[in-house]
Amino acid sequence: MAALLALGALVVLELVRPAVAPTQAEQARQIADQLRCPDCQALSVAESETAAAAAIRRQIVEQLTAGQTPEQVRAYFVARYGEWILLAPPSPIAWAIPVAALVLGIGVLAWWLRRGRMRDAPITTTPRQVLREQIRDEVERLDA
Amino acid sequence: MRSQWLRWLIVPLVVVPVGWLLFTGLGRDPHLIPSPLIGKPMPAFAGTTLDGDPFSSADLAGRPAIVNFWASYCIPSCVDEHPVLLDLAARHGDELQMVGVLVNDTPDGARGFLARYGQVSWPSMLNPDGRITIDYGVTGPPETFFVDAQGIVVARHVGPLTRAMVAQELAALGLAP
Repeated sequence: MAALLALGALVVLELVRPAVAPTQAEQARQIADQLRCPDCQALSVAESETAAAAAIRRQIVEQLTAGQTPEQVRAYFVARYGEWILLAPPSPIAWAIPVAALVLGIGVLAWWLRRGRMRDAPITTTPRQVLREQIRDEVERLDA
Repeated sequence: MRSQWLRWLIVPLVVVPVGWLLFTGLGRDPHLIPSPLIGKPMPAFAGTTLDGDPFSSADLAGRPAIVNFWASYCIPSCVDEHPVLLDLAARHGDELQMVGVLVNDTPDGARGFLARYGQVSWPSMLNPDGRITIDYGVTGPPETFFVDAQGIVVARHVGPLTRAMVAQELAALGLAP
C-alpha cells in the first residue's frame, strides 16, 4: 500500500512538474528527426550518415545558434526543398484521408455483404402456399 | 433500381479520390516535385572556384544563367550530360552564363573528372560545407537550375540534361536553341 502511494505521488509530481526547456542539442536532434534525408528518402536527417544529411545537421545547429526557433529552422528547409523535406505531413488532412478512406471502404463492404445476404435469404413461402393464398383471396373477393 | 445507380455512383466516389492520391504519389519522389525556388530570385552564393578564384552569384547578373550541380562520383549521369554542357557553352557562351557547383566532392576528384571527360570554360564552385546545395534544395547531382536575366529561377531539372531539354529551357529564357 505504501509503495502504491509512493508511486502515485511520483506520477502526480511528474505531471505537475514544470516542463524543462530542451537544450539546443535536443532541439537540433528533434528537428533532424523531422526532416527527410534528401538523398536517401526513407531516413531522417538524424538517422542518415550521408554527407548531405551531415550538412543539414550542421545547418540546423548553425541556425539555432543564430537564434532561430525550431519552427523557423523547419521553415528554412521547407522554403528550399518543399514540403517533401518534412517526414510528417504538416496538415492533419493528410492523416485523416486514409482513415476516412478505410471507414468508407468498410461501410461499402458491409453494405455490399448485407445486400447479398438479403438477396440470398431463404424463401419462406412455397409456391403451393402462394397459390393457396391467391385462391383464398379470390374466394373472399367473390363472397364479398 | 435505386440501388443499381447507387452502386455505380459509389465506385467512382471511392476509386477516383484514392486513385488520385496514389497517382500524385503522396509527395514522396523529389524528382517529380517542382522546386519551391521556381519564380523566385536565385539564392545567392559566394566562394572560391576550382581554379582558386573568387566567384559569387552577383557575377551572373544581367544575363540568363544556368547553375549546374555536379560531382566526379556522379556516374554515369554527370558523364552523360557533360557533352551537352560543353556543346551549350560552345554555342551560347556569349549570351548564357554557366556555373557549376560541386556536391560533396573534392577538388582533386573534380579535376580528375574534367581531365578525363573534357575541360570546361565555366567556373565550378567548391561548396565545401554543402551550403549552396542546401540553399538550392538539391537532392543529388546532377541538378540544373535555369535562371533568367533578372535572376529569377525559371526551371529546375533533376537528372542528366539532354539536348532536347536544354533547347526547351533556352526557349523559355528567350534564347534561340
